[in-house]
Amino acid sequence: MTLNMAVSQSANLQEEDLRGYVIHATKEVFGTMVMMDVQDCFPLREPVTKFQCSITGMVGLAGTYTGILSIHCPRPLALCITSNMLGMVVDEVGEDVNDALGEIANMLGGYVKQVLSKGGLDISLSIPTVISGEEYTINAMTDSDCVIIPFTHENDRFLVGLKLSKEN
Amino acid sequence: MANVLIVDDSSTMRKIISRSLRQAGLAVDDIFEAGDGIEGLNSLTGNKVDLILSDINMPNMDGLEFIKQVRANGNKVPIVMITTEGGEDILREAMNNGASDSIKKPFTPEQLNEKLGGLL
Repeated sequence: MTLNMAVSQSANLQEEDLRGYVIHATKEVFGTMVMMDVQDCFPLREPVTKFQCSITGMVGLAGTYTGILSIHCPRPLALCITSNMLGMVVDEVGEDVNDALGEIANMLGGYVKQVLSKGGLDISLSIPTVISGEEYTINAMTDSDCVIIPFTHENDRFLVGLKLSKEN
Repeated sequence: MANVLIVDDSSTMRKIISRSLRQAGLAVDDIFEAGDGIEGLNSLTGNKVDLILSDINMPNMDGLEFIKQVRANGNKVPIVMITTEGGEDILREAMNNGASDSIKKPFTPEQLNEKLGGLL
């Protein structure tokens, strides 16, 4: 998985830089809003498309650059994240969990937008979308993700992915 | 004690902001919540609100339009944007529409206290 050349040249960013921003953003969001220390792992070489008993939060970027920022969490970790954010025990997947994962995706998308945007009006962030289920597949209609980073918290693992392309 | 209106489409974020206001020790009395700009405008009808905390990126009516409408109604209540948006142009537009200040998400209760302490 490599960063799209047009994005790299236009934004004057290397893949390592973008990866660093995503790692920094994820650690800051989790440290500040979820009260959870997370550790990044070596980025994946292949995109992950099939998920089981998971929840995926996504926001789209549109404008000078288009793309999707996504976070994929196994259910038990999503419940833990939501419980921490709300300051109460959440033990079933529902509106609260969907909203929490969507908001995390939104904050991460905001970071990416700030890195890429000149002033904030040239790129729009979508309202978050959340997918959950026993088994589901997510397929992008263009080339593979440019960055997908696993993070761990204790024995749990989740993924943050960013796919970007430059609009002509 | 002040009444605060939180306008954000994320119920999680509204709860976090609400809890953070209490944790920061700010002089807050009632906290009203709205899920978008339209609900925010409705909340201002019949409720005494001393401070509005609003997101920008929301469905139905976004934060930029919401503050424009609040000011168009002649309401001078301080409005602080709490948003993932950090771009200069979009924040300038918010200020031009009538926002008093902005806080970037994610934030800590200390950062809220620092920004809002003088307004409450």
